[in-house]
Amino acid sequence: MLGVGRGGPVGELTPLPADGGAAGPPTGTPPAAPRSESSLRGGDRPCRAGARLPAATSSASSSGGGRRMSEREAWVVLASIDGLGPVSFGALLRAHGSARRVLEVAARRGGAGRLVAGAAAEDLRLAPEVAAAVVRAGHGSRALLARLASAGVEPITAEDDGYPPRLRGIELPPPVLFVTGDAGALATVRAVAVVGTRRPTDDGRSTASQIAAVLAAAGATVVSGLAVGIDGAAHAGALLAEGATVAVLGSGHARLYPPAHAHLAREIVRTGGAVVAEVPPDADPRPASFPRRNRIIAALADATVVVEAGERSGALITASWALEQGRALFVVPGPLGRPQSTGCNRLLRAHPGEVRIVAGMDELLEDLGYGIPLAVRRRRLERSESPLPDAGAVLARLGPAEAAVVRRLLEGPATADSLAGAADLQAATVLAVLTRLEEEGLVVGAFGRYRLAGALGGLRSVRAGHRGRLPAGASHL
Amino acid sequence: MLASVLSATLHGLEGRPVRVEVDVAPGLPGFTIVGLADAALREARERVRGALRNSGFVHPPRRITVNLAPADVPKAGSALDLGIAIAVLVGSEQVTPRGRWAMLGELGLGGEVRRVPGLLPMVAALARRGAGRVVVPAEAVDEARLVPGIEVVGASTLAEAADVLRGRRVAGRGPASRAELVPLEAPPIVPSATGGTDEDVPNLADVRGLLEARRALEIALAGGHGLVLIGPPGSGKTMLARTIPGILPPLDDDEAREVTIVASVAGAAPLRGLVRRRPFRAPHHTASYAALVGGGPRMAPGEVTLAHHGVLFLDELPEFDRPSLEALRQPLEEGQVSVARVGRAVVFPARFQLVAAMNPCPCGWDGDPAARCRCPGGDPERYRGRISGPLRDRIDLWVGVPRIAPRDLLRAAEPESSAAVAGRIAAGRARQVAGRGRLNGRLSGRALRSAAALDRAAERRAIALAERAGMTARATERLVRVARTIADLAAADRVATEHLEEAARYRPPAGDRRAAFGAA
Repeated sequence: MLGVGRGGPVGELTPLPADGGAAGPPTGTPPAAPRSESSLRGGDRPCRAGARLPAATSSASSSGGGRRMSEREAWVVLASIDGLGPVSFGALLRAHGSARRVLEVAARRGGAGRLVAGAAAEDLRLAPEVAAAVVRAGHGSRALLARLASAGVEPITAEDDGYPPRLRGIELPPPVLFVTGDAGALATVRAVAVVGTRRPTDDGRSTASQIAAVLAAAGATVVSGLAVGIDGAAHAGALLAEGATVAVLGSGHARLYPPAHAHLAREIVRTGGAVVAEVPPDADPRPASFPRRNRIIAALADATVVVEAGERSGALITASWALEQGRALFVVPGPLGRPQSTGCNRLLRAHPGEVRIVAGMDELLEDLGYGIPLAVRRRRLERSESPLPDAGAVLARLGPAEAAVVRRLLEGPATADSLAGAADLQAATVLAVLTRLEEEGLVVGAFGRYRLAGALGGLRSVRAGHRGRLPAGASHL
Repeated sequence: MLASVLSATLHGLEGRPVRVEVDVAPGLPGFTIVGLADAALREARERVRGALRNSGFVHPPRRITVNLAPADVPKAGSALDLGIAIAVLVGSEQVTPRGRWAMLGELGLGGEVRRVPGLLPMVAALARRGAGRVVVPAEAVDEARLVPGIEVVGASTLAEAADVLRGRRVAGRGPASRAELVPLEAPPIVPSATGGTDEDVPNLADVRGLLEARRALEIALAGGHGLVLIGPPGSGKTMLARTIPGILPPLDDDEAREVTIVASVAGAAPLRGLVRRRPFRAPHHTASYAALVGGGPRMAPGEVTLAHHGVLFLDELPEFDRPSLEALRQPLEEGQVSVARVGRAVVFPARFQLVAAMNPCPCGWDGDPAARCRCPGGDPERYRGRISGPLRDRIDLWVGVPRIAPRDLLRAAEPESSAAVAGRIAAGRARQVAGRGRLNGRLSGRALRSAAALDRAAERRAIALAERAGMTARATERLVRVARTIADLAAADRVATEHLEEAARYRPPAGDRRAAFGAA
């Protein structure tokens, strides 16, 4: 076991008597566990021994009857601390040997000072408020773990076998990932990130859906950021093709941002995908957390496709992470003078030879090396089953008014005027129908314009844009 | 010699009788006014002096003291001019009065008697005080005669007013003691099929497309709900709002009385009779706080009061400054606005219906299909966030007004005329007033619940719709309130699920500054 016994129980974290820690210097006792030079770099995995402890390890506690916290739980507690990023996490771990030990030290009198000193020994200036947060987390660790359980969020530490292998290779991998859904979706053979601006053109939106649907049909997991715009369209496209998709959040699961995509997030989980965050469930969305989140998006995929990105789009950050992490980067070029394509075109210019163009769906699959469908997919295709959901079935379960409105929307976005005209309905009826369709997640509207979403969102574009590879599903539409 | 004449001053929308006492005494020539007179009133001295001289009278070279009683009531404005001048004439024995007359009017240096704002409430105050006869500016005789129980005579000059007092001039006397406040000429506003009521009021038949916004406008006007139209520049928001005067029903008698008093105090134009037309006010967004809410040196009513029982249209809503927008909350809630200044506070009626238009973002193009919006990230949300939550909660209907391609515009169905819409609005309003005594826009709590008469299925639906949108309790009420009006337009006794479903469309764009309602 680690050097935990020396300190006493950490689980309930009864503050230790001052002499309890007197055995070691203030910088922390040398860890019993093998010390790793670069705790979070490369394939090196710190505190291997600690991580092997099963989460449910319980040994009798000397006081209070509370069970001891496992090293894994200690990782989760540490990683949940606001302001404690992978760098500080690594430094603290190196300084004290294990996460449990860090919390132990924090729980002692003058713990914050010891933490700062320990970090200083690792060339890290630990902010006093972060040190104080560690001390608080040490005292509130049980509540924190209980909160995770109540939020239904599963932590995966870098020590766990389920930790996505793609993440291990990057600089500063998140020590802990918070996951809802199927963690297996994080480690599929094929994974591509599809990202772009939050304010795309309609063309960009359907291109994103189309690319995502094609990738999903080719058996790839589609990774994106759950943002409005291109990200949302990409997730929806993947869902449409019944593929797995992974959303990486910039906030906690309970503070899902944007709230408008809560439904989409539930769909992603329901259909075998995963929603992932680097921060605990109650972390607020903050401007600074989104660029950080982007490194995970890029890292979870073999390649990143930027569909539309303005001059200062966050998607460009994802793109540069992809290049830095040595992943392939694809860009959908756009016309000159269209602001939504400025960023894409500049990427092409800035990195000749590194950034590739999406010249078409078949070409993209070929360039990705996804030319040959995975076995399962191939079988499906051989049985000439449509990878598309049966839109006919969706229409069939709708009422006549709803179906009439949806049929009009399959032609493209429309206003209430066109819907009323095409479906031959009163304004009042059209508006009530739109509310019902919106509840079903089939339609979204902004400022008087409505378009299909969810299960039907990418349908038109996929059918129009990708002839040949996908057998025509729902041809009766 | 001491002389005294009854006159009046204005406090908010109320008249207050004032006794003008003048002492013309031997001594060093001078002219003093005492009794809490404001700046305009202190200058009365010069106007009275000029008017006397230029009307063939003599400004007596004596010590003149004017006392305005009661001494502790602040007096404002120029309506006391005529009373002061007449009292001076009587006090200096240039005019021998035969009978008692109250006097109201401003004087010009040439002796003209001019119209003053607020004549109607001032005459009414005199009538309540028991004054039997009043001289008013000739051009405002019609306005003064709206008040029952008092004889009104018009004078266009100081000399004429003096003649009335001497009993020499009786011509032009109107019938005294009207039994009640009856309009002299009150043509009810009947929207014609061709063009509203005025040439400058566009007809709904000329507004093509905008089906959703037209429907929202109809619901808003039928139920007295607040309405915000959100759309890019050129989408027709302002045009749609300008059709409102042509589709609003005329005022009923009680409302007309209140609106006429406000119009009198505003004093923009001489009133010819009871105002029957609902006010439609459209102040520019650069309007000052005082202009919007009321106040200023004269304690004049602001736009919210001028729009009493009518519509206050605020174009470019987020461009109004924040204090002005927040000041709308009280009138929206209570139907009145209190304006406090040092030493006095006035409560003005302000039961207006708010209709506003706004762009979705500073550049106006957020949500555009070609994504023409140039606003930096977060700006559109911040722009919409200028409408604070509490104000947002007090506005029942929000509707997007998309820009329509010219092709679709031509293909759109032939729009209904203002007359057809006005008919439905009037019928819907009549249902509400007959059934509940007030418009749905002012229903809440228990009254709303009983009015909605939700059956179990509808109640479940209301809760589901509210929960899905993450609505607050207030927003849930808003949903039911709007649904009640939709049901009234459909002549339904109970609010049914389809009414709720339509009402759910008119929710505000996500208010917490997060994602607007464009998702996925």
